[in-house]
Amino acid sequence: MTDISDFDAPKPPAWFGAVIPLILVLLASGFYWFITTDKENGESVDTLNRKIKLSGRLSPGQTYYVFASEVEVYPTNLKNESWDQGKKGPDIRYRLFWKGNAVFESITKDDSLIADWSGLSIELNWKDLLGKSVSSDDAIKAGRIRFEKGEKIEIAVEDVDVASDDDVGRHEIEMDELSVGKNEFKLKKTETSAIRRITLRVLPVGSNIEDLANIMK
Amino acid sequence: MNVTRFLIACSSLLLGLGLIGPTLTIFPKAGDLTWFIKIIAPEELEVSTYSILGVIQKLFQTNDIFLAMILAMFSVFSPVLKLSFYWHASGLKDSNKFNSTLQIIHYVGKFSMAEVFALALIIVTIKSFPGGSTANLEWGAYLFTFSVICSMFVSFRLDSRKG
Repeated sequence: MTDISDFDAPKPPAWFGAVIPLILVLLASGFYWFITTDKENGESVDTLNRKIKLSGRLSPGQTYYVFASEVEVYPTNLKNESWDQGKKGPDIRYRLFWKGNAVFESITKDDSLIADWSGLSIELNWKDLLGKSVSSDDAIKAGRIRFEKGEKIEIAVEDVDVASDDDVGRHEIEMDELSVGKNEFKLKKTETSAIRRITLRVLPVGSNIEDLANIMK
Repeated sequence: MNVTRFLIACSSLLLGLGLIGPTLTIFPKAGDLTWFIKIIAPEELEVSTYSILGVIQKLFQTNDIFLAMILAMFSVFSPVLKLSFYWHASGLKDSNKFNSTLQIIHYVGKFSMAEVFALALIIVTIKSFPGGSTANLEWGAYLFTFSVICSMFVSFRLDSRKG
């Protein structure tokens, strides 16, 4: 039978006490983390739900801004004649169709074989200085579409003239082919289309300003 | 428990809360374009609050490993190490061991105020941003400061024992 008293019990090493401050720091941090963790978890779930894919293929059900940042046309029109009888280049405008409806019409770019548009612009008048508010739909110059597999969008390019507008061509795009960001389509001249190149930009609705600016570059 | 150890315990608890509690709140502004950014991307102007550990985590996530390590070393490991040495020293009875431990404490202590310097630097940087962005200290920063003050009292008490 052994008889160990408190005096004989093995003593912890001298450095053992040094761990106590570390334990207290962890306890205090852990306590704060414990009482706030439910709230933070709720927030992080919300953030995940709102997370938007900023690259790659489009996500079904997500709404996107779509606009053509550049459209290039062949030097001659559908009849193989110079645009505007050789006096000037074509005045290019495009319309975007989704589900058979025009969902966006661009402003006209005068005398251009390569027309470009920015997806972001604000036209301010004097009256705007008197407190008129500007909505994001006014600021973003693009069509809004919702991606569903197997659907198509169509871009119709026109040469705007005073007398009558001439068709430059139409191009149908499978939405499955589109990616977030820049999408370029090089086209051959046909009897019904004189479009040489279309650069289409696709931006997810709800992304932040930095991401939008990067995708628009 | 003696007064010195009580102060070390207080300092440790305050440090733990100071590290994880909100330390810095940033109020972003975009100058004359603030109204426009509020329309197009209001989340960019959302007020954000960070803790010291949160900043370190964010730096790791953004691959700023060097900065994350520096901040972690100066604001987490060094103060904890200093408090551990204080606790150890407060229980020493051998004057030689006590003096050598105190020397190590003074060496480690040189690094543990760097976090306050880093906070000051962040605030000055944010306040100098164009667009009127501002940053405010939150209660986590004050707890951290009180932790430092507590540890200073510990240091004074240990120094007086040395004499």
